[in-house]
This record gives sequence, C-alpha cells and structure tokens, in this order.
Amino acid sequence: MGSSKIIDQLKKNQILELLKEGKRIDGRALDEVRELTIDVGVIPKAEGSARVRLGDTEVVAGVKVQPERPFPDTGDKGMLICTAEILPIAHPTAETGPPQPNVVELARVTDRGIRESGMLDMKQLVLEKDKSVIGVFCDNAVTDHDGNLFDACSYASTAAINSCKIPKYEMQDEKPVKIEGEFTEPPLTTLPISVTMAKIGDYIIVDPNFDESSIMDARITITTNSDGNVVALQKGGHDGFTQDDLIKCAEISVRVGSKIREILKQSSSGVN
Amino acid sequence: MNNEKKRHVIPGETIVSGPYRAEQNTVMEGNKIISTSIGLTDVHDGSVRVIPLTGGYYPKDDDLVIGKITSHSAMSWEVNINSCYSGMLPATDVFGRDFSSHSDDLSSKLSKGDLIAARIVNADKTRDPLLTISGRELGKIDSGELINISPSKVARLIGKRGSMIQMIESGSNAQITIGQNGLIVVSCDDSDGLLKAIKAIELVEEKAHVANLTDQISEMLGLKSD
Amino acid sequence: MIKMGGRDTDIVLLDENGIRCDGRKINETRKVSITAGVLKNANGSAYIEFGENKILVGVYGPRDVHPKHLSDTDTGILRCRYHMAPFSVGERKNPAPSRREIEISKVIKEALEPAVMLKQFPRTAVDVFMEVLQADGGTRCAALTGASVALADAGIPMRDLVAGCAAGKAADTVILDVNNEEDQAGQADLPIGYMPNLEKITLLQLDGLLTPDEYKKCIEIGIDGCKQVYEIQKKALQDKYFSKGDDD
Repeated sequence: MGSSKIIDQLKKNQILELLKEGKRIDGRALDEVRELTIDVGVIPKAEGSARVRLGDTEVVAGVKVQPERPFPDTGDKGMLICTAEILPIAHPTAETGPPQPNVVELARVTDRGIRESGMLDMKQLVLEKDKSVIGVFCDNAVTDHDGNLFDACSYASTAAINSCKIPKYEMQDEKPVKIEGEFTEPPLTTLPISVTMAKIGDYIIVDPNFDESSIMDARITITTNSDGNVVALQKGGHDGFTQDDLIKCAEISVRVGSKIREILKQSSSGVN
Repeated sequence: MNNEKKRHVIPGETIVSGPYRAEQNTVMEGNKIISTSIGLTDVHDGSVRVIPLTGGYYPKDDDLVIGKITSHSAMSWEVNINSCYSGMLPATDVFGRDFSSHSDDLSSKLSKGDLIAARIVNADKTRDPLLTISGRELGKIDSGELINISPSKVARLIGKRGSMIQMIESGSNAQITIGQNGLIVVSCDDSDGLLKAIKAIELVEEKAHVANLTDQISEMLGLKSD
Repeated sequence: MIKMGGRDTDIVLLDENGIRCDGRKINETRKVSITAGVLKNANGSAYIEFGENKILVGVYGPRDVHPKHLSDTDTGILRCRYHMAPFSVGERKNPAPSRREIEISKVIKEALEPAVMLKQFPRTAVDVFMEVLQADGGTRCAALTGASVALADAGIPMRDLVAGCAAGKAADTVILDVNNEEDQAGQADLPIGYMPNLEKITLLQLDGLLTPDEYKKCIEIGIDGCKQVYEIQKKALQDKYFSKGDDD
C-alpha cells in the first residue's frame, strides 16, 4: 500500500501556497499545535498509563513496574526502558514484523527524551544494591497515525510515568516480594516535553501532520525539561537547517513546550 | 409480491423468506434472503437488495473515477483509484498509437502525485482495471480541492437524476467532479463558495441515510425552499 | 487455603449462595460494551470492553497483497493478527509475537472465515489486527467479537457476525464467561465462537477436564452467552449507522 504515502499534487500545492500566507492546510498558525488531549489511568491494571490524542494521531502508553536484576555496571540504579511501536491498525502502510528504521528511531528518541531528562531519580529505585532493582518499562503503542509520532509518544510517556504508582517491595530470602495494595509515588524530578518542527522551504511549522510531514525538507525534535533546558535533540529528514533556524527552533520548543507541560500537568492532577 | 418498507439491517439478518431474487449485498441461505452488509433494504418487484452504508469502491466499467498516479513502467502508469485494485493507464491512451517507449517519456505527461479524472474501460477482476483519460471532462486535474468520502455515499451525493449535486453546485457556484470511487474535486473562484460546497458534501456523507437531507442541504446553502 | 479443583487458591471461586469471586451468578457474563468506528485510518474498527478486557481492533481491506505469491487468484484471503501490548498483562510482555499469540491468531482467523465472503475480491487480502490493551481472561473471545464488528464496519460482506464467549468449570460447577482468576484457579475453560443466525460454532477449544454431561452443559451455556454478546454487537453497529439525525 505504498501509494498511500504519496501525497497528491493538489494538496502539495495547497500546502505550499498557504504557507506563503502564513497559514496551514487545517487553519493553524505556523507555531500552533493541534488539539491535544491527555487522559491518564486508561489501563488501570498497569502501574501507569496515558492516552494522547494529538489531532488525529493517537498513542497509548503503558507503564509496567517490576523487580529486575540491575545492569552489571549500574548496581546502584533502577532500570528504565521506553519503547515505541506503530501498531498495524494505525496506518495502511504500517507493517508487522521486525521494526523498520523509522520505528527504531521513534523508540530510541522517545527513550532518550525521558532518560536524559533524568525524569525519574533512578538511584531511588534500588531494592538491594547490585542484586535487585526496580525496573520501569514504558511502552508506547501508536494506534492512529496522522504525523508527529515523536511528540505524541513523548507526551504519552511523560504523562504515564508522571501518574504511575510504584509498588512496595520487601526483600525475603534475597528475593523481592511485592506487598499487595501498597504503593509509593515515583521519584520524579522534572517533566520532559518534546516539540517537533518541520522545515518546508523557508518556513518552520510546529507539529506537522502526516501530509505536511510527507513534503517536509527536514525536521527537528527538541525535548526540554521543566527548567527550560534542552535535554535531547534529533534532526531528521533529507535536507538541512541553517544555524538561525536551529536557534529559532530551540526558542519555539521552550515556549510551546511550557504550554504543553501545563496541559499535561492538568491531565495528571487528582490522580496521585 | 409486496414491496416491503425499507429496514435497517446488519450482516446475517433475514430480510425476507420465500421466492424472491437475491441481488446486491444479499445472499440466499436456505429459503431466506439475508443481508451481507450494513444498510437499508430495498424490496420491490420480487427482488431484494441492500443499499450499503459502508464499504470500499469496486471498479465497474464506465465509472468515472478520480485517480492519483503512483508510479509508471515503460508502457503504462499505475493509478491509485481508492480501491483494492490499482488502475492501469496505458501510455498509448495519452501519447497515441505511435507511442514509442524509446522516444516518449511518460513522466513528461503525468508524474507521481498527479490527479486525473478517468473512466474505467475494462474492470475484469483477473487483472488491474484499465483506464482512459481521452474523453470529455477527462484528463489531468490541475486545480481544485480533493475530498474523500465513503464510496457508498456517492449515489446520495449525486441524487436522483443529479438533483442533489446540481443543487449544491448552483447554491455554491462551485464546479464539482464526482468520482464513483468517493474522490471528489471541488473548484470555485470564490473561497466562500468553495467552503460552502465542501461543507455540503461533508453533510451529505454524514447524513446520507436521513430522510429530510435534501431540505437540510438546501437550508445550509441558503436556498429558498419551495 | 481452599482447594477448588484446579490450583490451590485463597480466592473463593463460588460461595454458598452461588455467587462467584467477582459477584456474578454462574450463568452471567461480565459487562460488555462495544463502539464501532473508533479509528481514523483503518477501513473498519471497533473497541471492546469485555469485563476488564480492553481490546482495539482495526481492519484494512480488501487491499493489495505483498508479496504477490501470498495472494490467491480465485479469492481474497483473510489475515488475522492477535497481539498483546507489553503493558496488557501482569508481568510485562515482550512485544515480539509469542507462540500463544500466533496460535490464537490462527484460531480466530478460522472462526471468521466461514462468515466473510471474499470470493468477489480475488488477489486481495483483508487484514484484521486485534490489539489487547488490557487482559483479564477470555481475550480471544473478546477479540473475535470485536473483529466481527470491525469487519462489518469496514463493509466486508459477511454471512453473519461471529460472537465469542467462554464457558468453563470452577468449584465443580459449570459457569459462563470465565474471568482471569477463574481461568487460573478453575478446572476448565472452553472458548466458543458462534454465528447466531446461521447457528454454527466456528471457534471451539478446551483447556481442562469435563465429563460428557459437563461438556454438553458448557456448550449450551456458552452459546447462550454468545447470543447475549451478539446483541451488544448489533447495538454497536446500530448506534453508529442507524441513529444519527432525524430518522425514518
């Protein structure tokens, strides 16, 4: 079904013509994000979860927390692994089987955004040094694809981890045993939020949808933390950015990112 | 035989029992005629069919369709016609009988992403349907806005003897080309008219099965009701 | 510790009033709700909650088959994928398909094949993707139920819908719609897929031990459960297609 990836000429011309007037095909301003809703606790049996709707893109993230053996060189830290998958229901071109490079990139960028921000203080997720630690897995499943999966997965992961509960464990005979019904708050330090921008000709647009993504020259995803510091970057696409572009993009990501952070905080309030 | 009142059915539900002819979207099971689609029953003159409310487009001879060029070989273009089968447009249809793959370059006429209004020439299911763009109102589409509606709603959008689409065109001053495959191109010099036409089309798709749809559209376009 | 036949458990699977561990009677199904047409891109879709099970189904097709050698020149083919999200179960599951998922995918495909009519679409495929977002026993029946609705939503011609529901045995009693605890600690689990108008069983498996009499009772009670589930499937499609705006 590769023909679903090909944008028709009329739409392409429309997008380009509208950009000259500072407009976009769905009526948004160049730096405007689509309608965003974040619901947490959608998978009650998981330790944390969130569903993000960013325009017509939809992602469900689930957090599982369980005891693990630590990595050999970091026996004093818990484990954090974020993944992302584009489910075959999400788009006619989505494939089953081993992930394509673009899906691997999505998963790794999502993981880096959460990890490098230090969102969870991993030192507080140790049960017994070098023997048993708490493993936090955040798995993102894209259920509907209309572009900008980077941001949708970033918001879903941050919201799911922010609202999760860590079960209490006690060590019995060197083995971690879960104490049913008892939980602690996750050791949170910050809320990482990514903002993805696409370059089309001389224009920079925020939160490109699927059609805009299919004609963009380059894209950049910038993740910032609650202090407005940059914690992760990923540039993609076939063309390049100028230095000025990059400075502008960083400024946009802090500004737009802080607005989205407020939306995310609202969605998680009253859960913990 | 009685003509029955229209009913809503889902797949598997019995429409009638007895000596009727099972036509579109129905099948005989024993002596019952059952629906194979979600839709409205239509029983008259001893035959039973279901007008579907969902489902894709299946190419039929002579249908006008809007297609998107997706690729080409040395001898033809492959065309996405919003169906489970891709359409095939032979180079000879555009270049003529003396087409030569050595001297004539297909992408000079039609390239990836171009939209065409085409007619289906041969919809034989053992191979991809053949298309033609030589004909009145056929050919490459250079301007306008492309809309996608469910192919099951196209008949409603056209209306009895074209009444619905004519009403929308005159009420908005737009030119509308409707593909049987659910793809529609709307052009209008005036951006308000364009918006009106698009909203009307979207309303038909949403409320295709509603009884007083014609009145609702007429009202939306600001036309005087008789 | 109470022995309930099957595994030892602390949970009371059936108390002296005939009430099960989640408050149900022995012939009661869990709460089922289905919404048709929930995804933007898929040709057809459905979201089903069957007790605590949460499953999202998407259908694409009929569409091109790649690689071509998998297609059939005489008919369209049906392909099914049942998949559990890593966060759907108690202990995080590796995203790669397990043998269990592969078997269930096949069993569901064979439950749907008698219902779908694909001879009119040679050289194409209809793809059914079932994603379990939260699992609580009986996911294959719930997935099958959702898949039927998604297929109808996509406009795939069907002779009938297929409804799924499991019967089983716990505390030496035949019960309807086995939940996760009953599956773990009970004595038998019998998932059923049933075409309600054609009255044919198209999915049937058994895990456990049943006497011939219990087997008969399970099938009877299971078909009854499937019929109840069918009413919910019907409602989901009617809600989407037949209730907007003023109606005739």
